Formats: sequence, structure tokens, C-alpha cells
Amino acid sequence: MGTATGIIRALNSGIKHIATKRFTLRYPEEKLKFVGDGYQFDPSTGVGIAGLKGRHMLFHDHCTGCQLCSIACEGVAEAIAMVKVPEEQKQNKKSIMPQIDYGKCVFCGLCVDACPFYALYMTNDYELSSFSKEGLIYTPAQLQVKPYVAQDSEIQISDRGATHG
Amino acid sequence: MTFTLPPGLALQKVDERIMTLNVGPQHPGSGHMRIIVQIDGDYIVACDPDPGYVHRGEEKMAEYRNYITNIPHLERPVIHDSCNVLYPYVLGAEELLGIEVPERAKYVRVIASELNRCIYIMYWLAIYGIFLGHSTMFMWPAGDRELLIDLMEKMTGARVTHAHFVPGGVRNDLPPNFEDVCLRQVNYFEKRIKEYAAVFYDNPILIARTRDTGVLSRQDAIRYGTTGSVLRASGVDYDLRIKEPYDVYDELDVHTNVMNEGDSYARSRIPWLDMMESCNIIRQALQKMPKSGSVRTKLKPNPKGKGLDSVYKRVESGRGSLGCYIVSDGKTEPYRVKLSVPSFRNLIALPNLLKGEKLGNMPSVYWSLNYWPVEADR
Repeated sequence: MGTATGIIRALNSGIKHIATKRFTLRYPEEKLKFVGDGYQFDPSTGVGIAGLKGRHMLFHDHCTGCQLCSIACEGVAEAIAMVKVPEEQKQNKKSIMPQIDYGKCVFCGLCVDACPFYALYMTNDYELSSFSKEGLIYTPAQLQVKPYVAQDSEIQISDRGATHG
Repeated sequence: MTFTLPPGLALQKVDERIMTLNVGPQHPGSGHMRIIVQIDGDYIVACDPDPGYVHRGEEKMAEYRNYITNIPHLERPVIHDSCNVLYPYVLGAEELLGIEVPERAKYVRVIASELNRCIYIMYWLAIYGIFLGHSTMFMWPAGDRELLIDLMEKMTGARVTHAHFVPGGVRNDLPPNFEDVCLRQVNYFEKRIKEYAAVFYDNPILIARTRDTGVLSRQDAIRYGTTGSVLRASGVDYDLRIKEPYDVYDELDVHTNVMNEGDSYARSRIPWLDMMESCNIIRQALQKMPKSGSVRTKLKPNPKGKGLDSVYKRVESGRGSLGCYIVSDGKTEPYRVKLSVPSFRNLIALPNLLKGEKLGNMPSVYWSLNYWPVEADR
């Protein structure tokens, strides 16, 4: 194959892409769709449930303050601290619950694997930016709130190429 | 008072013709490492690669964490290939702790590992393209990589640094309907990477820049102990997925791609061919995978080794053979973890390859080695 033919073929291959659709995701107008409701773990079988490893969610009525999530995080990021909570739960005698510093968290989800009481899950919320370092520290009360995450865009494949439809 | 500098810092006698040039460690063309090149005009007379700029002490850190909490930090050396970099550690830990792995988990691991290999190679290809001045080859792989990252995100919940493999299987089962989505996106991905032939690999400008530059002969490739695509581009048919099959690779039909030229072009073409082979393996694994069953053996909270014991496991990563040597002394933490990484083995060929080349050929030769500085430094 001659040099001229090769260059023309290369250009031709690029020109074909004028007719194909745009693949780019227009974040933040469009947001990705995820499977499930976030990464969860079932301690009875020892297997997790697939989902995005985003911001955590804490169920106050399940948390016993056993500190296993905090111990699991010790060698990883040391992002979890146990703090006193004002409310009184029947199962939580010491009234301590995890507080998570997202400036340190690496989103590995090992704390979720460690929780034997179905109290700590992860959610699809990944937009955690803050203007201050303190804003990244989520207290047990903040972790209790279920986030609203807009999900509208998924990869679609057609004859004219892949798009985020 | 006499004062002598240590050998590395000693002042060198400057020849009038020879100029010493530091490429890196913060130069975008070298990654996080320094290449000290001595040039005579435009020709390189000597080259001394200087890794170690991003040393993090991963091996020492592993001695203070237990077998499970070692997982997130041991995949940091290559975040784009995080499943493969963790694979030998997990295989070794399973043998030390005496854990059986369910059949379905082995297939899930193979799929994750092959997807990660493609993700890594696409990232590398994007860098290789931009350093040859081919910006289309930067944009296309960076975009098409998204197809596979999307699959990994569905499968593991994270786009990079998945922390998915654990001793005893994988963290979570595949999401519902994953097989169909995976098949569709992998088929489209394969169609896309075949288009790279016309725009990049058959492009006369690329061929002119990379043919017969940095030739590594078959004998030298073996003598230096290079692995992976560098070794296969020099005509040695060596792939651990065939030679020492781990998990379920012996049940799958794996082919290697070998080229005999040993130049930069062959070294850049082999990973591209490997991606098509990975697509084949993913399709086979999806077909042969048991449709149901457990994916993880339940572990005790703090697993312990069975006394003084050691194990060495290696896998074929996106760059070559990656080994992990673990010594256990019966505690919850490993006594010693040693990573034997392909990037460091391939780098040793660089001074030989660059000698006599023009300085302008340095990026094409250096990046064709499939080198990842962070992995080499650990």
C-alpha cells in the first residue's frame, strides 16, 4: 500500500465519523443511570449486592454502635469515627454511631461488608463536593437521609454508533 | 577537608559534544520518572532510566494490614488495571488461608480481569497516540474506553480501583441482565477497535515513525527478562494464561499474538491484538459461566495463615507477568508481601533500545515498552 493511499484511507476513516452520533455524556445536564440502589451487603450469605459505591446511608434503627465499620476502615482510610448521638435507640446502648469523613474515604465499601446488622449501605450519590473540609464530614444525622439522584442516561448502541441516550 | 559526593550526585566531566538532558520526572513525556539521556547533536549516545519518583512503600504497608484491608491499597499501583494487579495477591492469599473458590466466581474474575486489561491498554494507547502527535488516537480510545468502564461500574460499583477481588471469590454477584449488556458492549467495542487499523496502525506516518526504531532482538528480550507485549513482539510465544493457567483459563480457548520484528511498531501493535483476544475470552467466559451459584466463600472476620508458609503466584496483566510473593507467619497480617512487576522488568531494556536513536524517537520507543512508572516504583 502506497503512502498516499494509506493517508487517504486514514482520512476517510475519520470523515465517516461526521455521520455518527456523539458519544459524549453532557454532564451535569445528563446523568448516568446505575444498576440497583447502591452497593449493599447481605451478612447471612456473605455476598454483596451490585450497585454503585457512592455516599453511605446509615439506618439508625439497625445500628448497634458495635464499631465494626470503624475497625474495618482502620487499615484503609481511617475515615470513620464513632460519635455520640443525642437520640436513644433500643439496640444502641452506648448511643454511638459512625461519622464518615469523605475527604479520606476511598469508597472501597469494606465497612459495608463488615456490618452484621444491615445498618450501613452505600447509595448512588457521588456528588460530594464542598467548599470546606468540614463540609465533607457527614454526621450520623446527615447519613440517615436517602439522597435523590437523577438518573436518565444509559449507553445505547445502534447502527450509527454508541450514544448516551 | 576533603569532601566527596555520593556516586549518584557526583559531578560529571562535561564533554564538549555530549549534552546531558533530564527528561522528567515531571515532564509529561516520561510519566513520573526521569530518563537521563546524553545526546550528541540529535542522537542519543547513552540513556539512564531513573525510576523511584513515586515510591509509596506498598510492600511495607502490606505488613501492617490484614489480608482483607490490604486489598484497597495493593490495587493502587495501577488503578486502570486494578483487578489484574490484585489478582496474584488474592490467589496467593487463598492458598495461604486455605480457601476454596466457587466456580462462578472464577468466571466472574476472568471477565473482570479481561475487561480491566482492555481498559488499561486503551488508556496506554491514548497516551501512545498523543505522544506521537496523533490526537485522534488520543480521543478515540479515551472515548471507547467508557464502554468498558461502564461495564466495570455496573459489575463492581466503581469506575477505577474496584476492590472487587477478595480471597474466596468476588465481593458481589453480577447485576441482573449483565450478560446481555456485556455482550452487546463488548461486540461494539471490538468493532470500534478494528477501525483503529485504518487511522493508526496502517497509517504510513505511524509506520514511518515506529518501524525499525528501538529494535529488541529475540535473544536480548529473553536475556533481559522482559515480559508481556515486549517479549511477544520480539518473537517469543509466552503468555501465562496459556503456560501457567490460573482460575479457569485452562477451560477457555486462549491464543497469543506474536510478532517477530521486535521494533516499536510491533510492540505497539501487540496490545491492540491482545484486546481482540480479550473480547474473545470474555464472550467464551460469558457462555461457559454457570448461570447461578455462590460467588464468594464466607470468611471468618480476621483470617489467619496456617503457620510459617510462603507462596508465589503470578498472572498475566496488561503489561506482562505480574507476581506476588507472600510469606505468612500464622498471624492475621502477612509477614512479607513482595510484588514482582512487569514494568520494572521491561524498563531494563530501555538503555539498549535508545542507544543510537534520534531524540525525537524517544517517546515512541519509551511508551512502546508499555511502562507504568507507579507500578515499577510500588
